[in-house]
Amino acid sequence: LGSLFARFTGSKVLTEEDLKPVLEAMKQHLMKKNVAKDISEKVCEGVGEGLVGKKIGGLQTISAAVRVALSNSITRILTPKTSTDLLLSIRTKLNSPLPSKQQRLPYSMTFVGVNGVGKSTNLSKVAFWLIQNGLRVLIAACDTFRSGAVEQLRVHVRNLSMLGVNGAADSKGRVELFERGYGKDAAAIAKEAITYAKDHDFDVVLIDTAGRMQDNEPLMRALAKLVAVNNPDKILFVGEALVGNEAVDQLTKFDRALRDFSAASGGAGKGRGIDGMLVTKWDTVDDKVGAALSMTYVTGQPIIFVGTGQTYTDLRQLRVANVVQAILSD
Amino acid sequence: MVLADLGRKLNAALSSLSRAPVVDEKVIDATLKEVCAALLESDVNVKLVASLRAKVKTKVKASLDVSEKVKDANRKNIVQKSLFDELVHLVDPGVEPYKPVKGKANVIMAVGLQGNGKTTTCTKLAVYYQKRGFKSCIVCADTFRAGAFDQTRQSATKAKVAYFGSYTETDPVAIAAQGVAKFKKERFDVIIVDTSGRHKQESELFQEMVQIGEAVKPNMTVLILDASIGQAAEAQSRAFKDSADFGAIIVTKMDGHAKGGGAISAVAATKTPIIFLGTGEHLTDLDRFSPQPFISKLLGLGDMQGLMEH
Ligand SMILES: Nc1nc2c(ncn2[C@@H]2O[C@H](COP(=O)(O)OP(=O)(O)OP(=O)(O)O)[C@@H](O)[C@H]2O)c(=O)[nH]1
Ligand SMILES: Nc1nc2c(ncn2[C@@H]2O[C@H](COP(=O)(O)OP(=O)(O)OP(=O)(O)O)[C@@H](O)[C@H]2O)c(=O)[nH]1
Ligand SMILES: [Mg+2]
Ligand SMILES: [Mg+2]
Repeated sequence: LGSLFARFTGSKVLTEEDLKPVLEAMKQHLMKKNVAKDISEKVCEGVGEGLVGKKIGGLQTISAAVRVALSNSITRILTPKTSTDLLLSIRTKLNSPLPSKQQRLPYSMTFVGVNGVGKSTNLSKVAFWLIQNGLRVLIAACDTFRSGAVEQLRVHVRNLSMLGVNGAADSKGRVELFERGYGKDAAAIAKEAITYAKDHDFDVVLIDTAGRMQDNEPLMRALAKLVAVNNPDKILFVGEALVGNEAVDQLTKFDRALRDFSAASGGAGKGRGIDGMLVTKWDTVDDKVGAALSMTYVTGQPIIFVGTGQTYTDLRQLRVANVVQAILSD
Repeated sequence: MVLADLGRKLNAALSSLSRAPVVDEKVIDATLKEVCAALLESDVNVKLVASLRAKVKTKVKASLDVSEKVKDANRKNIVQKSLFDELVHLVDPGVEPYKPVKGKANVIMAVGLQGNGKTTTCTKLAVYYQKRGFKSCIVCADTFRAGAFDQTRQSATKAKVAYFGSYTETDPVAIAAQGVAKFKKERFDVIIVDTSGRHKQESELFQEMVQIGEAVKPNMTVLILDASIGQAAEAQSRAFKDSADFGAIIVTKMDGHAKGGGAISAVAATKTPIIFLGTGEHLTDLDRFSPQPFISKLLGLGDMQGLMEH
């Protein structure tokens, strides 16, 4: 990358011709970092448009100019446009005044995504984090399809109950599992869980859902129904850092299917789409972190969390500067 | 999958090539560009695509240099042939995978990244071999993932396949050894060992995999790889190859939209053949895959036919 940037030093007005080989090399570079092809092209196009006609001279080299423009562009894409402070939105909801007699609803959050990306594991990490922050968490086992899905959450709830919180020896009573076994309607279980949480003073309900392929219409309709019926406070898309070009298709279709199908089925949550992302398996890709860029480019929604391993503490906030650095590094 | 899709795109590219009145560098570049774009969109490794492009160019360059003597039609053939050869090269490492033999214990060990479909595929494999008259069973050597043994227990029960595992034993090496010994004694033909998900960045996890391998001495180790994997495919699969020396690859989740180019890169990086494709969450969603028939089928598409004669 560096050698190509260096070819165009000197004082001149940048033309499309000058930029073409540099932008092509940049595109290749982004793809190597696992940015989807489409997104790499669009980002480079944008950088090119911004630079054509600009005068480069004095001490500034083209190499530096292009790098700065790319860095700015990536930073802009990755920087959240809405708040990523989950605790704040939970507390805001829980503390907002209610008309007398009306019972307070818990804050609810749904984890959605394709198969095996880490929804259930990272839901458990989020539960751990919420418990540490003094909140009572109910986990709703709404994956009623995959073998062992309910038991997986049961193990997590048992583990989480045994971890100490704020000086107490364990966090019993701070976390519970709500399950109705297998083969049942996920939307109905979620609804029951929210009611149960309301009656038993839980602050947050985390709804686990079965993994599904974005093209599987019956399954996408079922997910949209869960969203429409329960109108969760947050719909979190879970995607893995390992994913390549599919990142674009997954997010586009999950968002669209949720909006379209939930609108059709009515309910309070009709027309809802993805509110944010959780990017898992960050620890498996070294500096090939381009999926984060693809995901935010497609949705314009923020990455709320990053999953960095298989234990409860492996949950981080996205550090935009670090991601930009990793993507730009040779 | 990526090649089926490529078959179509290649056809389109080649037919515009055959319509071109003259075959000059520009036309060849355009053809290559189209093919490479399709590969990149399918998640084939970026460096691999660049080298494919370079190799084809070198091969056809000779024919361009002697432009006077070589006819356009001939040149088209050279382009087609070299492109095709390189594509075949990608998916066919020319290695025969292990074939289970009846009447003896065939131990198959599944390894791979987290969540790529190992446990699901183990049951599918057991069902597949059971149907073909092999007495099959599963050993759950995943003591790490929450609910792992319940997952195996439930899906093996559904599939009516014997299984072994433990809720209390925490050492996967011990479980693997016990399970395989037990099933060998009971004269099972196909013994499938499921392991935890792992990744190259955690060397302890890789060591554990090596130890399980030493304990069960698999006849065949299989890398289970998700079709949606992007540019991390090469480094991860290479690392698994170095530590576990897998002899076959199964690409899962091919029922989705993913083209599986990452898996193709893993084939190229490790010179290991794909033997099955996972095509759904149900027990029978498993398709046999072998490169040769697949390529022949690809060849059956329209203009590709002519290439058979070379
Ligand atoms: N290395 C690593 N592994 C992870 C991370 N998050 C989850 N995993 C692993 O990924 C695998 C799949 O995780 P699950 O939580 O079961 O995934 P899921 O999306 O709920 O899967 P389905 O419900 O079957 O669709 C497990 O082995 C997890 O331990 C992460 O951040 N890093
Ligand atoms: N659509 C589809 N889903 C699949 C396929 N194979 C596996 N899955 C799903 O992928 C998810 C993960 O599968 P598992 O078998 O648990 O993966 P694993 O590799 O054993 O996961 P770990 O043990 O946590 O590393 C589950 O939701 C499976 O149902 C497939 O071919 N198609
Ligand atoms: Mg799950
Ligand atoms: Mg497993």
